Amino acid sequence: MPFGVLIALVMCGIAGIAVLTHALGLSARAPFPDTAAARAAWLREYPALAPADVVMSRDGRSALIVTAGGPGVVWRFGADSTARLLTGARVRRCARGLDIRLPDFTAPRIVLDLSAEETDAWTRSLGNAA
Amino acid sequence: MTDPIYPDVVQLAVPVFIALILAELAWIVIRGRGGRYETRDALTSLVMGAGNVASGILLGFVGWGFFMTLWAITPLDLGTSWAVVALCFVLDDLRYYWVHRFGHRIRWVWASHVNHHSSQHYNLTTALRQTWTGAFTFMIVVRAPLILLGFHPAMVLFCGGLNLIYQFWIHTEAIGRMPRWVEAVMNTPSHHRVHHGRNPRYLDANYAGVFIIWDRLFGTFVAERADDPVDYGLVRNLGTFNPLRVAFHEWLAILRDVTQPGLTLRQRLLYAVAPPGWSHDGSRETSEAIKARHRAEAGRDPGMPAE
Repeated sequence: MPFGVLIALVMCGIAGIAVLTHALGLSARAPFPDTAAARAAWLREYPALAPADVVMSRDGRSALIVTAGGPGVVWRFGADSTARLLTGARVRRCARGLDIRLPDFTAPRIVLDLSAEETDAWTRSLGNAA
Repeated sequence: MTDPIYPDVVQLAVPVFIALILAELAWIVIRGRGGRYETRDALTSLVMGAGNVASGILLGFVGWGFFMTLWAITPLDLGTSWAVVALCFVLDDLRYYWVHRFGHRIRWVWASHVNHHSSQHYNLTTALRQTWTGAFTFMIVVRAPLILLGFHPAMVLFCGGLNLIYQFWIHTEAIGRMPRWVEAVMNTPSHHRVHHGRNPRYLDANYAGVFIIWDRLFGTFVAERADDPVDYGLVRNLGTFNPLRVAFHEWLAILRDVTQPGLTLRQRLLYAVAPPGWSHDGSRETSEAIKARHRAEAGRDPGMPAE
């Protein structure tokens, strides 16, 4: 296969599949249905670190987790979820809520969509980190 | 004697890959079952696949030069008959089994392979989520015996390409179980779903490329169970779709671990070559530790592979 044809095929294939999945509504970030789902999502990543408390965001797409190992966040990631302890995190307010920078190459930044009240409450929960 | 010429089957298969992805996507959307797609996940997988092809073009000459050097020094030449090609395919699949097993048991090799497991989805795009850094694992040396035995390098690469193409179609949830004889001999969607599982039961199992018999032979076979649905992804899932981070994160983690202060030379070496999850202070979990914890919590679990 000529190299130019291969490049065109790959580029068009990638773009086409991306546009199609988006058009089919497969980019939507569904919220956690309830606190139990957020807790389960946390335990999926940290099975040995049970949450002492789970505070869901109003949009249901993230939850603040209080554990014996410190605070953490579980959040919707694409159609799935992931979670991180906030050890060494830099937390600051932003227009959307909280902007968390982690010393973690695999999850360097979490932007949480929170209301003003939630931002205040989560910031208090996170101590003086914000 | 002139070198044999074989087609670049992986390049030729690209249109088929795209067509089958579209067919799988259509099946899932129309039928409402048989798997899941998510735009950014699929996009990341496809970009990783394109990057894999690009890295092969950029670095492939290193491997080819190594193979042709071996071919120049070996006194053996098995020829190019189809029987030899078939034998080469089977032996190359055995080679694949061991490279793949090393890829899960040696962190240096895992650093390259981890990206293939980094999706929480399991669909045909996941098959294309391939490494950009395979050349740095030095696993091409595992192909050396084949060439020294008299299989021409072009034939070995042709068989490797066929192996890769075979593995494309098994990355799907749209196919349940194949007929019993197929499940007994061949790698299938069911067997490979197990391989992509992060459930303790499924960790470090089913390394086969084409023939599942290697796992049965070497004690790494685990059957998919309806009472333990496969949970796809990594033990600690990524929080980024950025292909650069997906491609290089474990290499960076190795660098960080190896260069931390206060370690002995042996500990630094083990951070690079011990199984993933090894740590000098026991603060992390290897797959053995995860399985042991599962056994302790779940009691006797007959579906778990032997310790």
